[in-house]
Amino acid sequence: MIRTEEMLLNVGPQHPSTHGVFRLILKIDGEIIKEATPVIGYLHRGTEKIAEDLQYTQIIPYTDRMDYLSAMTNNYVLCHAVETMIELEVPERAEYLRVLAMELGRIASHLVWYGTYLLDIGATSPFLYAFRDREHIINLLNELSGGRLTFNYMRIGGVKWDAPEGWIEKVKNFVPYMREQIEGYHELVTGNEIFKERAKGIGTYTKEDAIAHSLSGANLRCTGVNYDIRKVEPYSIYDRFDFQVVTREEGDAWARYECRMQEMEESLKIVEQAVEQFPESGPVLGKVPRIIRPPKGEAYVRIESPRGEIGCYIASDGKKEPYRLKFRRPSFYNLQILPKLLKGENMANLVAILGGVDIVLGEVDG
Amino acid sequence: MIGLAKGLKHTLKNMGKEKMSYSYPDEAIPLPDRFRGIQKFYPEKCIVCNQCANICPTDCITLTGKKNPDPERKGRIIETFDINFEICILCDFCTEVCPTNAIVMTNNFELAEYSRDELYKDLQWLDENDTNIRKEN
Repeated sequence: MIRTEEMLLNVGPQHPSTHGVFRLILKIDGEIIKEATPVIGYLHRGTEKIAEDLQYTQIIPYTDRMDYLSAMTNNYVLCHAVETMIELEVPERAEYLRVLAMELGRIASHLVWYGTYLLDIGATSPFLYAFRDREHIINLLNELSGGRLTFNYMRIGGVKWDAPEGWIEKVKNFVPYMREQIEGYHELVTGNEIFKERAKGIGTYTKEDAIAHSLSGANLRCTGVNYDIRKVEPYSIYDRFDFQVVTREEGDAWARYECRMQEMEESLKIVEQAVEQFPESGPVLGKVPRIIRPPKGEAYVRIESPRGEIGCYIASDGKKEPYRLKFRRPSFYNLQILPKLLKGENMANLVAILGGVDIVLGEVDG
Repeated sequence: MIGLAKGLKHTLKNMGKEKMSYSYPDEAIPLPDRFRGIQKFYPEKCIVCNQCANICPTDCITLTGKKNPDPERKGRIIETFDINFEICILCDFCTEVCPTNAIVMTNNFELAEYSRDELYKDLQWLDENDTNIRKEN
């Protein structure tokens, strides 16, 4: 007589496919996952609490370290929130530089996702191509901000540096190069029958599930919901650019892959238009008081990060430090659906599903 | 099968392309001028205004000043200036607020030490860190 019993299996916290320190307690019956319990908090640094003791400008380098794959969007959300509170006008040239930096960051972030996702499910070479092309973006952002990952580039009221000489030209040349590379990625991966078989139909959820779990970004759009904050509630100067919101209907890992790949192309479109419209000259920092003291009150702003809706809530009591600061971190919300997705799945699909959700643990833990 | 063959074609096409990898540490990494590396400190320029220590988001700068020994000159001069590189995040705020450019960034970034104590850098060390100084601050 065969006796079967359930087994508890720990995946992580130190597991390469969790992209950080993330632990999953799995209850498995043979190869089938019966229950999955995510354990988070290994990377918790208390950003929000630390921020309560800091002046608004001093918080900017801390936001770099939340979603470290797209630090520019994090910089922006904080600056945008403070600017909303003190009703500050940002110079046009600074807005363009911000959009260029954010969209290049979005492409770099998606490239990391693309490379590591395929590496997770067993394809090594796309990772190398993705990182090669990401290096071009990192070099561009390094020239602009002086950092490769933690940019600390944006300031309340503008940006720290103007574009260095010849930088805009380099970005302009980068767009056709990257388009060609994306074509190559499609040749290499999108048409690959093994990958198609692997990604199609796994980790499927419906539109209703996605909305009920507060998913955002490509995780929401892969179910057919046309929701992108750049279009729904345009911030900065996004209303000046012509781009599409990418959606798919299937809601599986393949749909999420297609969404992100096309999003890179849409970001390139924005970069191209921003370079064309880039103002000849002008200031890059608005008229900002030396010490920023927002009036008593609160503000919440939200923007579209590569992972979804990132929000920043500030409650001010009129002092130079915030009374309370809260970030709505998209990876944290996107991760909530994982136990539901994993239930009843085969053990081998675990990594393919987790990778498809695209989380950054620095952001999950905050 | 067609998809796999296409993928292989792409791989072969890329074999002759330019390399993106660096030969670090055998060769120095080319860094742009704006790169935020370890700070260089000019003690003679410092007016002990404490702004760098105040703006530092991680509180890694400690400094003390003393009265100018020259009776004809007013103001204070720097006595000790330490940066704790265990917690410094090289955010650039200290160089941004300095009114006299007494603290500037360099392109040097190699900070590995065998002991944690060695990460406390004092005035003399920061003064001697005078290579690859950033042009624009």
